Amino acid sequence: MIRKPALSEELDSSSAANQSVLDSLEPDQLVATRARPFPRRKLKRSEIVLFWALRLYLLFMIAVVIYQLWISNR
Amino acid sequence: MSIFSSKRPRSPTETVGIDAGEPLITHEDVQRGRDRQRVLAARAQRGPFAGFRLLWLLLGPGILVMLGENDGPSMLSYAATGARYGIGFFLPFIVLTFVMATVIQEMTVRIGAATHCGHAELIFARFGPFWGRFSTIDLAIGNFLTLITEFVAIRAGLGFFGIRPWVAVSCAVMILYFAILTHRYWTWERITLAIAAFNLVFIPLALIGGPDWNSVGRSFISWRPLPGGLTNDTLLIIVANIGATVTPWMLFFQQSATVDKGLTRGDIRFGRIDTALGATLAAASALGMIVVTAPLFALHMSTQNFEAAEFAQALQPLIGRCGAVLFSLGIVEAGIVAAITISASSAYAFGEVAGKPHSLNLSMREGRSFYSVLFLSVAAAAAVVLIPGLPLVRVVLIVNVVATLAMPPALVFLYMLANDKEIMGDLVSPRWANILASAVVVLLTTAGLLFGISVLAPRVLTALAEHTAH
Repeated sequence: MIRKPALSEELDSSSAANQSVLDSLEPDQLVATRARPFPRRKLKRSEIVLFWALRLYLLFMIAVVIYQLWISNR
Repeated sequence: MSIFSSKRPRSPTETVGIDAGEPLITHEDVQRGRDRQRVLAARAQRGPFAGFRLLWLLLGPGILVMLGENDGPSMLSYAATGARYGIGFFLPFIVLTFVMATVIQEMTVRIGAATHCGHAELIFARFGPFWGRFSTIDLAIGNFLTLITEFVAIRAGLGFFGIRPWVAVSCAVMILYFAILTHRYWTWERITLAIAAFNLVFIPLALIGGPDWNSVGRSFISWRPLPGGLTNDTLLIIVANIGATVTPWMLFFQQSATVDKGLTRGDIRFGRIDTALGATLAAASALGMIVVTAPLFALHMSTQNFEAAEFAQALQPLIGRCGAVLFSLGIVEAGIVAAITISASSAYAFGEVAGKPHSLNLSMREGRSFYSVLFLSVAAAAAVVLIPGLPLVRVVLIVNVVATLAMPPALVFLYMLANDKEIMGDLVSPRWANILASAVVVLLTTAGLLFGISVLAPRVLTALAEHTAH
């Protein structure tokens, strides 16, 4: 098995090598930049109602599936 | 720290500082940067093959997600469809489901390239942890159930060769671990693509079977026949076939893979081609499966409790020993590729919501939690399949049904993210995409509700079907 080089071996600390990585990636593709999350959006009342409706739909339908499994095994 | 964190702190061991004031560069950044350098070099090239070179570098997540969704349970659902209903209604219906999948998956490419954030991460950030937890729990449960069915398919496919279940399952787990242990997204993607190519084996198998091309052509025009009409069994198979094409893990996987691959706004066109190409290949393979098993319907063979090995044995007189062997291996491949992609989607989502490093470019030390989720989910699912006496065929169909039922809530999050101007800017969904996406949500919800009616009040469904017929 090929040994994976350690970070210190693999990463050339010279500015040129790091610059080429920086040049090939967009600024927000860097892990360090991605650590900043997007802000939370304010949900409208209609959106919250829709989310709840779909949540209840899913729970109800899962109950239906369990019921179908139960009657098919009887 | 709660595992549902909206921030993503970084491990100090994974970073390498440059000079003060410059951004920190991680091992993950370097690996992704190398992939991007090749893309940028290909973009600068001129000549007849420059476009193909660029496409070769940029395709991957779309083909993988579509061929990954042509998984064990899906292929067995298509086999059951062909054997029990022939080609009539279901050939055009399957094409429709792949059109739906393309519309949905295109949104994940756009969001991934525009935000460089995974799907779970964005849901947590934009809608808060309350709704984020729901979507992550839905994904975790759905993925684990689906992973179990992948190992069901692998076990059943290798059962044709007389391989013992524990040997079959162990081999599959080892292949999966081998793909992951490269610690490089690019290598992982190419290994998985190479395995996934075997999914296309169902196309030549359909041709070997010598299909009646007139019937195939007629079915696309008339969408008929649908033998037995609209019954509970028919609706179960319709909903299972939808779940065989569009499922929540696909949204999470493709968006995270798009980010891990490093696609940017300039690559979206290629992401769309990748997705459409994947859908075309997967649809052709799915249609091939239905066509190849359709003769069993014509022979009135009861396939109610068939697993992959039984399908292969029943088809052997029609497609020969070699064809039956390829059929079984195709089912095994479907299970392996899906297990690879689904476990990756679970690991990505866990890392995104827990604030842990999440990339296939991570070394084992840096991505300990990421790889642990991957390994453990696979090992647990593999172990469940070895439990004797499990009703495997029913489980396979039910898992697809559950996937369809879980889609509307997942799609609404996707729809809202794709229309979120604050994160998408000028890449928000165009009007036509919103109309199509809304139609998909309505169709999926209606299919789910009809299935519910067929279980709880079958007489209502019969009356509804008669009314429609008149």
